[in-house]
Order: sequence, then structure tokens, then C-alpha cells
Amino acid sequence: MAAAQAGDAAAYDRLLRAALPLLRAVARRRIINAAEAEDAVQDALLTIHRLRHSYEPARPIRPWLVAICERRAIDRLRRQSRRGGRESPIEDWHETLATPGANQGEERVASAELRAAVAELSEAQRTALGLAKLEGLSLAEASARSGMSVGALKVATHRAVKALRRRLGAED
Amino acid sequence: MRTEDFIGQLAGGLRPVRRMAPPGRQAALWLGLAAGAVGLAVLAHGLRHDLQERMLMPQEVAQWVASVLAGGGSALAAAMLARPDRSWRWALLPVPALLVWFVSLGWGCLADLARLGPMEGQLGTSWGCLRFILAMGLPLAAAQFWLLRHAGPVRPGPVLLLGGLASAALCSAGLSLFHHLDAAVMILLWHGGAMALLVVAGWLLGRPFLASRAGRDQA
Repeated sequence: MAAAQAGDAAAYDRLLRAALPLLRAVARRRIINAAEAEDAVQDALLTIHRLRHSYEPARPIRPWLVAICERRAIDRLRRQSRRGGRESPIEDWHETLATPGANQGEERVASAELRAAVAELSEAQRTALGLAKLEGLSLAEASARSGMSVGALKVATHRAVKALRRRLGAED
Repeated sequence: MRTEDFIGQLAGGLRPVRRMAPPGRQAALWLGLAAGAVGLAVLAHGLRHDLQERMLMPQEVAQWVASVLAGGGSALAAAMLARPDRSWRWALLPVPALLVWFVSLGWGCLADLARLGPMEGQLGTSWGCLRFILAMGLPLAAAQFWLLRHAGPVRPGPVLLLGGLASAALCSAGLSLFHHLDAAVMILLWHGGAMALLVVAGWLLGRPFLASRAGRDQA
């Protein structure tokens, strides 16, 4: 380091490279995230570079390097936790928008498909399905309402349900 | 950027630097500066008329010596803490002197209470104390922080605190040499208050200064 203070670039290069494992160990001891720890090492190297005139050659270099690296690692941790307090990660399964309807896209697609499928049924099938399944009338009541015979209602309802199943992929 | 390449870049742009004086010498330099400044102020105002008689009272002497030691100790501690590898225990150096100083002032208050009667009679304003300690202490603290500007990336907080304390304690000691202030409660209030103000001011004004030094790229 004394040589580096005098401007010996080769000695400086050797010193920093030799110190790198030590600095990495110090940073990793504080910071779990490997990329963050490596950033802290680079912060430490920059600080070492800026403070190189404050190093006293009579004293051992190791505690000097370690102390600077510890400080930079702690600073980075603090910044990280400050950032962590302001931001929260967006998870895939969280609601993305506040409007209730905005998150129901899938349901809307499904109901649109169902409407389209119902629209493709014949008039008789649609009437039979509406009276027997949606309004829950008995076959006799449905027959009286629609003017269709009980047998025709049965057949129409059965065919309608079958057609819907086929259309919506429930039956191959 | 890979760290190995970063090292290459740092080494590639290396320029020789002038080695900084050891912390002991830095502290001595600043103490000399402070002593000179306070000495000039004392010369300008003239010593207080009852100084000789007060210097015969052991408690007064102990109080004054303690304030000087607190100032000197804080200055040395600040210079030491500005270096990354020095122990934080240096911060404890001025504590005993500070304790002695404040305890002797508190004791003086009690003694005055017994001697002179109720406190209300002794209270008064002494803006002069505040003005002197601030007017003298702020430049001294600024000189201190300039000397210790390399502390920014390492331990800015304790260095600012101790630097402000050193300036304030020495100004208070200097002030006691020429300013006539008898009641201990007044010294405690006005000197102590001015010191607290100066330490807080040093902290507030010094932080951005040291932070900007830390951010400055000398590479």
C-alpha cells in the first residue's frame, strides 16, 4: 500500500487482487445475496481507493481493509432495508387492479362463451332449457307454458344439454 | 462490471498521493490552532479581574482543567475515529473529563444554592456566552471537519459529534478566562447550552459536507 501511495500501479493492482478474497469473505458474512455482496465489495474497493492517502504504513493493512469493507457492507444493507420498507414485490397471484371487475376477465370470457353457445341452440331447445333447467318448472308446467308436448320437451332439453356440452368441450 | 476489471481500472488510473499526517499530529495541529484562536480572543478581551483569586480555589481549577481535557480528548478521539482501523474505544477518551466537568458544575450549583440562596436570584441572561461559544466554536469545528474530511465514508457520526464537542469545550474553557460569570448555574446553562447548540449545529452542517466528500470521485 505504501508503494501504491507513491503511485506504483502494479503494486496496487497486486494488493487489491490479493485482498479480494478477504473482502469478499467480509461482505458475504454480512450480506446473503451474492450479487449485493459483490456490489459491496466494489463499493469497498472504491472507498479504499479514495482513502488510500489516509493509510498509515506503520500499521497493519488487514484491519484497515476489513474495517472499510464492513462499513460499506453495512451501508448497503441499510440502503437495502430502507428500499425494502418503501417497496413491496408484486406477486403474480396478487390482484393487479383495484376495480373488482378488472380481475374477472376469465369469468367474463367463460360467460361470453356460454352465451354464444346458447345462442346457437334452436328456438325449441332454448325454450325447453330455460323453462326446465333455469326456471326449474316441472315437465307438465313447462308443457302448459310453452305449448310443447312433454315428450318433445324431454328430447329438446336433452339435446340442448348435449349440444352445450359438446360446444364447451365437456364432452368429446 | 466484473470486480477484477474494476480493480484493473482503479490501478490503471492510479496517481501518487500525499500521505496524511498521523491522527495524533492532526489533533495536535488542530489543538494548536484552537489554542491560538482562543488566546487571541483572551488578549482582545483581557483576563478577568478575579482570575487569580479563582485559580486559588481547587474546585474552580479542577473544573477548568476538566473542560480543557475534555476538549483535547475529544479532538484526539475524533482524529482517531476518522481512521477506519482505529478502535471505537477512542470515543470513550473524553468521557471522564466531561463527567468531572459537568459534575463539578452541578456541585457548584448546589454550593451556590447553600451560599447565595434560591436559584432564581442567580439566574440571568448571558447572550455573550452563547455568542462567543458559537462565533468561536463554529469556525473551529469547521476547521476540525476539514482536517477530518476523510472520515465521511467511514464513521461520520461519531467524528462530527466529537469534533463539535472539542470545539465547544475549548471555547468554554477560553471564555472562563476572561468572562466574569460567577454562578455555576449560569455557566451550566449558558456554556452547556451553547455547547449543545454547537454540537447539534456541527452535526447538521457537517453531515452534508462529509457526505459530499464521501461521494466525490477522486478516481
